[in-house]
Amino acid sequence: MAQNDTKSNHINNSARLQPANLECKNLHDYLKTRSPAVLERLYNHPTICLAVYRELPELARQYVIRILFVEQPVPQAVIASWGHQKYAKEHSHVCNVLSELSVWQEASIRGGLAGWLLSPTFKRNLKIALLGGGKPWTMSSALDPDNKARDVAFLDAYSAERWECVLHYMVGSQQQEGISADAVRILLHAGLMKRDEEDGSPVITRQGFQFLLLDRQAQVWHFILQYLDTVEQRGLDLVECLTFLFQLSFSTLGKDYSTEGMSAGLLIFLQHLREFGLVYQRKRKAGRFYPTRLALNITCLQDKGAIVLEEDTPKGYIIVETNYRIYAYTDSNLQVALIGLFTELLYRFPNVVVGVLTRDSVRQALKGGITADQIIGYLTQHAHTQMLTNETKSPLPLTVIDQIKLWELERNRLVYSEGVLYSQFLSQADFNVLKEYAQTSGYLIWCNKEKRTMVVSKAGHDDVKKFWKRYSKGN
Amino acid sequence: MVNVMKGVLVKCDSAMKQFLLHLDETMKLGKKFIIQDLDETHLFISADILDVLQAKIDDLMDQISFPVTEKGN
Amino acid sequence: MNNTEEIIKDAIEDVSSTDDVSLLVIILDTNPGQRILRENPHTLTQIIDSVIAFANAHLLQKAQNKLVIMACHSRASQFIYPGLGKALDVRQIDGQYEAFTLVEKTVKLNLSKLLSESITVSNESLLAGAIAMALCYIHRIHKSKPPGCKINSRILVLTASGDSASQYMNYMNVFFTAQKQNVVIDVCAIDQHLSLLQQGCDITNGMYLKIPQLQGLLQYLLWVFLPEPPIRKKLVLPPPVKVDYRAACFCHRELIDIGYVCSVCLSIFCKFSPICTTCHTVFKIPGPLAVKSKKKKIKL
Repeated sequence: MAQNDTKSNHINNSARLQPANLECKNLHDYLKTRSPAVLERLYNHPTICLAVYRELPELARQYVIRILFVEQPVPQAVIASWGHQKYAKEHSHVCNVLSELSVWQEASIRGGLAGWLLSPTFKRNLKIALLGGGKPWTMSSALDPDNKARDVAFLDAYSAERWECVLHYMVGSQQQEGISADAVRILLHAGLMKRDEEDGSPVITRQGFQFLLLDRQAQVWHFILQYLDTVEQRGLDLVECLTFLFQLSFSTLGKDYSTEGMSAGLLIFLQHLREFGLVYQRKRKAGRFYPTRLALNITCLQDKGAIVLEEDTPKGYIIVETNYRIYAYTDSNLQVALIGLFTELLYRFPNVVVGVLTRDSVRQALKGGITADQIIGYLTQHAHTQMLTNETKSPLPLTVIDQIKLWELERNRLVYSEGVLYSQFLSQADFNVLKEYAQTSGYLIWCNKEKRTMVVSKAGHDDVKKFWKRYSKGN
Repeated sequence: MVNVMKGVLVKCDSAMKQFLLHLDETMKLGKKFIIQDLDETHLFISADILDVLQAKIDDLMDQISFPVTEKGN
Repeated sequence: MNNTEEIIKDAIEDVSSTDDVSLLVIILDTNPGQRILRENPHTLTQIIDSVIAFANAHLLQKAQNKLVIMACHSRASQFIYPGLGKALDVRQIDGQYEAFTLVEKTVKLNLSKLLSESITVSNESLLAGAIAMALCYIHRIHKSKPPGCKINSRILVLTASGDSASQYMNYMNVFFTAQKQNVVIDVCAIDQHLSLLQQGCDITNGMYLKIPQLQGLLQYLLWVFLPEPPIRKKLVLPPPVKVDYRAACFCHRELIDIGYVCSVCLSIFCKFSPICTTCHTVFKIPGPLAVKSKKKKIKL
């Protein structure tokens, strides 16, 4: 659902007079846009294969593991027969995903059958990750025990503090120390903040607000993706950085790792990660570092399970009642500011804030570019444990969810798309030809045969015009 | 020959369409803005009116909504 | 274009519905009295290697997947992963993922401890007891899980020992407990057909497979037992065969087709006895005419 929405927003937003929504890519979307050559280089590292494998759809994971130990291409028909007929659609989707990521390639088998063959590099390295062999990862050189070892609680506090520093900076809270020019540059690059037109100081954008409403893991992932975009300008190697990032994400919390044998580029990268709180290092030259919770399982965007199972993760603090009241047990200015984005705050006490969701307050947020799904998502993520105990599907009252969605829909009763109207064709044949062309190139947004009228998107206008000129000359 | 016009395609429900037609006829926005009435749910309008129109519709929505919450103090 | 988008949307919804934590408890029969181990003790190494690779493949599926491995012996059952006490401090020695290395090391260490301790050989493995322990463990995890978190649990039993009807009652108790707790029991029979455990699979909607040969054990495990129950319906897996639902009698622990049932407590006997051994109800010794009224012939 949400994916479709963002897509249609994307198409229409030129006319919606609103800037683009925050686009959150998962690992799959990110890798899809890399070239096969880069993918091939990436698959040379067991860590990346591991991460890619985990991101695959469930059915794809089964397919891959089934042919992991098969050396010849497997006929496509055979693989298709593994799934039930009822799920044929899912099967073809899964096959697409595997091809897009170059996890497998088409290969012909003697006898003219089409088959699939796992990419040899991917296969070799996934096997290494699973069964052993190959070289150890860069950060796992032996270390003497740390005499000032840090425990998990310390690391959590540290990473939370570092990350909140970035968030606080974004909402313009007072604490502006502790964030480097580098981080600011990434925020600007990501479009989460922009330079104020008057004094040039960075201010938060619409996307920035949406970013704040994401859960922490999604925030980190989005931020890191933006950072990776700039990695090559800094003279760092993208593949090297990605590999290291995934090594971190597969490391163990509360354990120290060695910096020995890391290249100069990686050491710089490590310092950047340190700034955002993904790793902890006592001193720059300490020779060891601790990954924090932020760096672990960095690609898992949807599943809350992993986080929830650990006992010492931050607890939810928001209670939503059916009368639209919100009680937030928090003393953090940042969290209060975030709730204030879409609620009308009534009272504030030392440890709790009371607010109420009203049409005006929600509309205010919607106008600011926050979507209903994001509001609901935020409230759900931070729902108080009391709200989670009843075994219903959603922790929030359904009336509230529905109402927030209705408030959003009410704003979208009109859908605008900028375009060009073509009318008064002389003959039906002319109309058909042009319609056919516009349709196949994907520019057609509306047409009526009887009236011989059609609307072409603005982007397609030039193309259609040129085609029309050629066509009418030919006649 | 073909007639070509730039503008904005509006997709809406038929009630909303009637409201737009009404705004157009009575010149509530200061001028006529509908270029062509396409069908039950589509209109083609001029692009420069969009801001004013959106504001007008927001006004309408404000008028026809009532508060679901009571702010008991 | 619209069409493909829809397909993708559908598929995504389908896939995301199985995004829960999955807890797998593997019960490995390590009793040295099993026939194939008596004949060739090295088979155990091969089985253990396959099981470790399979266990790691399970952990590979999702970051939040949980794994428990138990060894079931002739005298006792024991958790071998995660082991008792503090986890080993493992550093990578090769390209294998650290968590997988940890599984391998821990299992091998604990197993060698276990095997070196026990000398007494008995032919029977305490499988029912091991399953009960696994159920208790699963129950504890479920109780301590935070609200709003879903865990799919299942148990996989790997054994080469035969069925022992002597544990019939214990088996039935654990099977129905598992069914009640929504725990799926899968069974991989390595050496001989196991009709009692097969009933357990049928009761809990699990998979039962008697592997044709030991060579391809890992492949059988990966193909049949790796997919979690929610995704099994999307794959073509070996069809369920007809399950032998014969019960074991309470007097000689033998599987019977026709027997006597106590009308009070429903205990099953292969021979008529005047006093029910379970509930001590006294039956009159029937005369030729009273046969039909006092004892019932049943077919199970």
